[in-house]
Amino acid sequence: MKTYTFHVNGMHCKACSLLIEQILVELPNIDSASVSLATNKVNVTGDFVRTPEETAVDFTKLVQSHGYTISVEKNAHIAGWGDFAYAVPISVAIIFGFFLLQKAGFASLITSSSVSYGTAFVIGLIASVSTCLAIVGGLVLSLSASSAKEGGTWRTQSLFHVGRIGGFFILGGLVGLLGNSLHLGLTANVVLGGIVALVMLVLGVNLLDVFHFTKKLQFTLPTRFSKHVVKGSKHDHYLAPLLVGIGTFFLPCGFTQSMQLYALSTGSFMQGALTMTVFALGTLPVLALLSFGSLNIAHKPWKGTFFKTAGIIVIALALLNLANALATAGIISPLFNF
Amino acid sequence: MNKSIFVSVAISGLLIGGAFWFVSLGQNDDAGDTSVVSMIDGKQVIDISAKGGYSPRKVIAKAGVLTILRVKTSGTFDCSASLVIPKLSYQKFLQPSGTEDIIIPAGKAQGTLQGLCSMGMYNFQIIFQ
Repeated sequence: MKTYTFHVNGMHCKACSLLIEQILVELPNIDSASVSLATNKVNVTGDFVRTPEETAVDFTKLVQSHGYTISVEKNAHIAGWGDFAYAVPISVAIIFGFFLLQKAGFASLITSSSVSYGTAFVIGLIASVSTCLAIVGGLVLSLSASSAKEGGTWRTQSLFHVGRIGGFFILGGLVGLLGNSLHLGLTANVVLGGIVALVMLVLGVNLLDVFHFTKKLQFTLPTRFSKHVVKGSKHDHYLAPLLVGIGTFFLPCGFTQSMQLYALSTGSFMQGALTMTVFALGTLPVLALLSFGSLNIAHKPWKGTFFKTAGIIVIALALLNLANALATAGIISPLFNF
Repeated sequence: MNKSIFVSVAISGLLIGGAFWFVSLGQNDDAGDTSVVSMIDGKQVIDISAKGGYSPRKVIAKAGVLTILRVKTSGTFDCSASLVIPKLSYQKFLQPSGTEDIIIPAGKAQGTLQGLCSMGMYNFQIIFQ
């Protein structure tokens, strides 16, 4: 009976450490395994026949499908500063394009004052390239790029969209049925906008992969909660992306809120539900492009440039959202007027 | 390597400069509109339209007078329908089409009143003089 200590790469949450422990303990010759998220190390006790180096290779084979690697030596942290030479101009150009898009005044394209399902779809399409892009699109980009970076699969991304569309159907129906709009008040709006901006800021800095300290700031679910999620599936987190998708119903996006107001005026479950669902479907093309696009690119050779570009864009949008939230609260005067 | 960093910094600088120039276009040279201010029955009425932003963006009105801010929407589904006026603690979701009267008491009709949409992307100012 011996105890070896290995370094683990690619861990980002408590569920990851549980998953690795579970996989290792299932091996017949392993007695116990304990993973420390803080130090990125795993202590394994058992009967080893092979050298630590060979064992590390064996272990890696078991966990690499989840995006982790196990090694004896600590992997040197590579910041990849060279990627910035491309990432900075690309991201600045994209942000510039975003400003141009806002100035283009897509909102004036909507001329009808009544909402058919067709109009709801068009409003969704416009919303996804308009002001809502800063908050919903920014959140999707930051989450999907982070998830892709940590080895998430298409399932995580799909669940987010399923959650979003399903959530819009049910909550839209409830708004129609109850006649009680689920708008949040001014303070809640400002607080939510601020929280989303901060989440994006942390995720964006993580995507840059330059600083180490933000790893500690990452939002980790409590272990007990994670255990349930992990036991359900060994591959991915099911619940989190689904819940985030549903949660986008409440994001402070003007288009979403005006559609909710319309759903409210219908006074029926089906009409409210369908209006909101069609609207969500309208936003799907752009959001799906963002999430599945980042998933694809995560396996390309130039992924380093992509993650840094995404990081810069997410940070810029986070700062924009933060400035907007503060302006709405009346704390600072607005910086932009599109 | 050094050359590519230099090119990268130059392009970024140019784009950032361009973006600021672009955003500031027609923002500060706006002297302020007085044509939308009218006096009806001793009350000051300010007409502002909300669709894809607010128009006019800067209004100059008389200070210390009971004022009605009349916001008109027509097929407005974007953020500008979600109007916030922090100084008045006012927040309302305007109907897609219609008009909304917001009463500004004489005591509040002082200085600059800032109105914006709940996401903060569109805004307008009323300057009471």
